[in-house]
Amino acid sequence: MIWKLLKQHVSVSQLTGFFLANLCGMVIVLLSVQFYSDVLPAFTAGDSFLKKDYIIVSKRVSTLGSAVGQNTGFTEAEVSDLKTQPFTERVGEFRPAQFKVSAGMGLEGMQLSTAMFFESVPDGFVDVNLDGWHFEPGMQEIPIVIPRNYLNLYNFGFAQSRNMPQISEGMMGMMPLDIRLSGRGQVSRMQGRIVGFSDRLNTILVPESFLEWANSQYGEGVKEEPSRLILEVKNPADDRIAKYFKDKGYETENDKLDAGKTTWFLKVIVGIVLSVGLLISVLSFYLLMLSIYLLLQKNTTKLENLLLIGYSPAKVAAPYQGLTATLNAFVFILALVAVVLVRNAYLDRLTQLFPSLEAGSVWPACVAGAVLFVIVSLLNIFAIRKKIDKIWYRR
Amino acid sequence: MNTIELQQTLPEVFAGRDGIVSDIWHRQVAFQKEKSYLIEAASGTGKSSLCSFVYGYRQDYQGIIAFDGTNVRKLHVADWVELRKRSLSMLFQELRLFAELTAWENVKLKNNLTGFRDKKEIRRWFEELGIADKWDQPIGRMSFGQQQRVAFIRALCQPADFIFLDEPVSHLDDGNGRLMARILTEEAAKQGFGIVVTSIGKHLPLEYDAVMQL
Repeated sequence: MIWKLLKQHVSVSQLTGFFLANLCGMVIVLLSVQFYSDVLPAFTAGDSFLKKDYIIVSKRVSTLGSAVGQNTGFTEAEVSDLKTQPFTERVGEFRPAQFKVSAGMGLEGMQLSTAMFFESVPDGFVDVNLDGWHFEPGMQEIPIVIPRNYLNLYNFGFAQSRNMPQISEGMMGMMPLDIRLSGRGQVSRMQGRIVGFSDRLNTILVPESFLEWANSQYGEGVKEEPSRLILEVKNPADDRIAKYFKDKGYETENDKLDAGKTTWFLKVIVGIVLSVGLLISVLSFYLLMLSIYLLLQKNTTKLENLLLIGYSPAKVAAPYQGLTATLNAFVFILALVAVVLVRNAYLDRLTQLFPSLEAGSVWPACVAGAVLFVIVSLLNIFAIRKKIDKIWYRR
Repeated sequence: MNTIELQQTLPEVFAGRDGIVSDIWHRQVAFQKEKSYLIEAASGTGKSSLCSFVYGYRQDYQGIIAFDGTNVRKLHVADWVELRKRSLSMLFQELRLFAELTAWENVKLKNNLTGFRDKKEIRRWFEELGIADKWDQPIGRMSFGQQQRVAFIRALCQPADFIFLDEPVSHLDDGNGRLMARILTEEAAKQGFGIVVTSIGKHLPLEYDAVMQL
């Protein structure tokens, strides 16, 4: 009955305008949130065992330096100087193997074999959650992390040119490697298993415990200066780091920085799109408020009369609050549907580009949409009630 | 609520005037339940203002209006809503009906809120007051006299301690005025409410306990 009375002057065209505008804004906002959360893992994934704020430092190899036999190892003084820098959290040394290594694997009856080297970093720098990153003397299997580039080199260079099968990361992990260790006149065979790939680390990494044991077995016992250091920093974006490295002539491995740049650009672009979406949402919210205010203004006498015959402000406001909340709810649901449709379209392409990408869920869009819906509806409800209260007090 | 007191009440617009001669303004007046009062007034003496002060939708007065000793300025929105539903009924001079609703819908809108009357009773009043044929007609297409009767019926659709009728018979013939007076007396006998009627000429024919000049 109240609704029959109050629905007069409801402008369908204004509300449609709001509906479309808000839908537009909502879809843009939700889509950018969803896209960001879908794409981000593609840039941050890959180095499960190295945290983001680790930097790998080496000295520059120069032509002149090589000619005069200059050492690129870090002296103890240099390491302890680095440890005292304000940006440093802790420093770990790369320890090289002091014996010869060769690895081979059999593939379709063909034997591949190559000379190799091993390095290790303190276990604290390796994500302990990494399965099987563990070695004890007496074990026959060595866990190994190799650069992802190696696999790409094989898959896209070697295998294609020789008509050999390409290997996925998962397959690689299942394939045993024959490892031959030699030094101090001893030779032994062990099995290697690849437990991880890295984009950031250009070395073949084994557990420190293995290297200690193997160096004592096959090594010459000479202590060598580490040629690379792994550095945990408080904030990788700290510009003192870059300055310090430049002054000392150190180099860092760059690909991590590139990933950082890409995510930064992604963030900026998503940020811009998100703000445009939010702006449209805010404007459409404004449109709705104007439309409702106009409606209330046109119906002022009726609202006043309802209040005078004993209707409470809450009861009088309810139909309008219901109207806006329903509209907002429809916008929310439609926007979600639109996001799911668009997402299905780009997800196919995305999985082609990043095969290792795990499919996420639409939760980010749902949550963002729900938050937006609740905020906008509450603001609407509050504003309408304020307006009705004003009519009560005849202001 | 048993009494409505006016203590030195005066509309703010009259504040500057000298020599106000009135039985109500700037005096100590009390309306009692179960009594009936006629307030006679020339136009422009603040008759409708009085109604709106008592009914809580205007506050531009000096002095105090008190319900059972409580200053009405202290009442909150929720209190007023409750009063307008349960103890104060008002037949507005300008009626405040909804032109786009039918006569029955106008009454129902109030009755839905209070649930005080059943449809049969309302129907009977429509018949007694000679507007039964207007039951389903939009208010906008009825004469002012007919509308006055609908508004009167609506005013009865709530429990009340006091009922205010602001010029209830201004557009009614004497016959209809008598009918209205009879229904009102019946209801007053049942509920025991106080009646305050204003008039600028034609009176609702009742046995008034007091007649005052505004």
